[in-house]
Amino acid sequence: MKARAAELACPRLFEVEALRDGRLTGTEVTRFQSHARTCPICAQEMQSITELAEALRSTATPPKADELRVRRERTRLLAAFDASLAPIPGSSRTKLWLAAVAALTVVAMLAWRLRPSRTAAPVVASPNSVQVQAATTTKWSRRAENQLETITLEAGTLSIRVDHQRPHRRLLVMLPDGELEDVGTTFSVSAAAAHTTQVTVQDGSVILRLRDLPALTLRAGDSWSPARAPAPDTAASVLVPPQPPLPSVHSANPARASVPSSSNAAAPAGNNSDSATDFRAAMSAFTSGDNARASSLFAAFLGQHPRDSHAEDAAYLRVLTLQRAGNAGDMKQAATEYLARYPHGFRYAEVEPLSH
Amino acid sequence: MIQRGHKPAERDAPQTSDAELMQQLAAGQLGALGELYDRYQAGLRSFLGRATRDSHDVDDLLHATFLAAAKSAERYDGRSSCRPWLVGIAAQLLRRRRQTLGRLVAVLASLKDIQPSATDPSPTLHARTDVDRALARLSQPKRLTLLMAEVEGLTCAEIAEALAVPIGTVWTRLHAARRELRQALDAERSGKP
Repeated sequence: MKARAAELACPRLFEVEALRDGRLTGTEVTRFQSHARTCPICAQEMQSITELAEALRSTATPPKADELRVRRERTRLLAAFDASLAPIPGSSRTKLWLAAVAALTVVAMLAWRLRPSRTAAPVVASPNSVQVQAATTTKWSRRAENQLETITLEAGTLSIRVDHQRPHRRLLVMLPDGELEDVGTTFSVSAAAAHTTQVTVQDGSVILRLRDLPALTLRAGDSWSPARAPAPDTAASVLVPPQPPLPSVHSANPARASVPSSSNAAAPAGNNSDSATDFRAAMSAFTSGDNARASSLFAAFLGQHPRDSHAEDAAYLRVLTLQRAGNAGDMKQAATEYLARYPHGFRYAEVEPLSH
Repeated sequence: MIQRGHKPAERDAPQTSDAELMQQLAAGQLGALGELYDRYQAGLRSFLGRATRDSHDVDDLLHATFLAAAKSAERYDGRSSCRPWLVGIAAQLLRRRRQTLGRLVAVLASLKDIQPSATDPSPTLHARTDVDRALARLSQPKRLTLLMAEVEGLTCAEIAEALAVPIGTVWTRLHAARRELRQALDAERSGKP
């Protein structure tokens, strides 16, 4: 009603929206703008439309996705795109061959499944290819939705085995302080007091993503536990902000491990301190834009601390700094080394194109 | 200590242009898709969130948007920012989703002999402010057009291209959307249903 009255009051009112939507051109714009300066009805309408747009822009957007969710969705996207690029087997002969292999696989799996069990482990739930063993005191739950199975661990220990020979969903273990993604494996994971306390991989590998820590790929024989924070030093704590404790990774394979193969959660303080200092020095060069120096420092870090939890980040950042420094030859070499070392690395998709 | 809030490449690397990224993507380079995702996922997430108000839908639609963009990268027209193009793809997916839902609702309604609503019911369920609720009263074509113009800053020509409708339709939808939004806001603020 009000609008109708206004239209009657000023026949040029429709030009307010026309101007906003880009329907006026050249002199029409200038003429209407001079009109609007002297017409209170058109000026008010312009103001009203502007306020409406501002109200729309200020509407609450959904809560910002947390970092882990964004990273997970990113990985899912890249995997889906990668899969879409894979060639489709064409000839009928190939299809027949694949069908024969599939049939043999099914027979082998059935034979394996029907073999007499030698252990009496209490399998709590195994409705599909994911078998979970849990102590009675463990607080956990599982949920399957579309192509994703989610196991949520609140406290206690779970031993999980994923049979990748059978059709299965993606498996994510939600931890109190992060998540763990299965990449084909048997593993156990523990949590207590809202923190992940132990991850041990018996077979295959997993990707461990904890808040505020780099993603970590753990392979067969690896065991992860968070390092304990150093004992508080009263004098130092006043002057120096406390650094978050660095996690430690231990390998059961002595040939691969550069740290003692101990089950103790805390790595020797000296090692951690050195690796942290070296990594910070490299990061400092990186953030200051000194790419040549940063790449050298990352290379040195990798040489001295190959099993450190920051090693994958260092390997990736080395590639990045060499790329920025314009050193294409070394960058390709570094990219190739990253791919060989972290075939399931978080940055694999980004690094792979740089290795050619 | 790596600060995970921002990826290093976003902070100070000389950025590859969107057009170059799209060329790399058309050549099947995965890294280009990762870079594109890092650049635009937050903005697109907001757009989809405003349009659907359903966080589960947002993740799936975001995934589908980038995947569709990757598959049609070779048809990218080379403009400096691919944001309008991505918003257009997202809008197309929203439209298709609504059509699919609409067909489903129509089938269910025919079984129950009830009249289906012209508007998408899901935004209403998640609306919180009076503007949210008023926006949710608009039909999806009008809501999308209004959001693309007033929030995403797309020109009417870009919206027309993205939604594959004549530009006159965009102007008409914008005019109707503003009028209906104002009426709905008045009704919200005066407490009328």
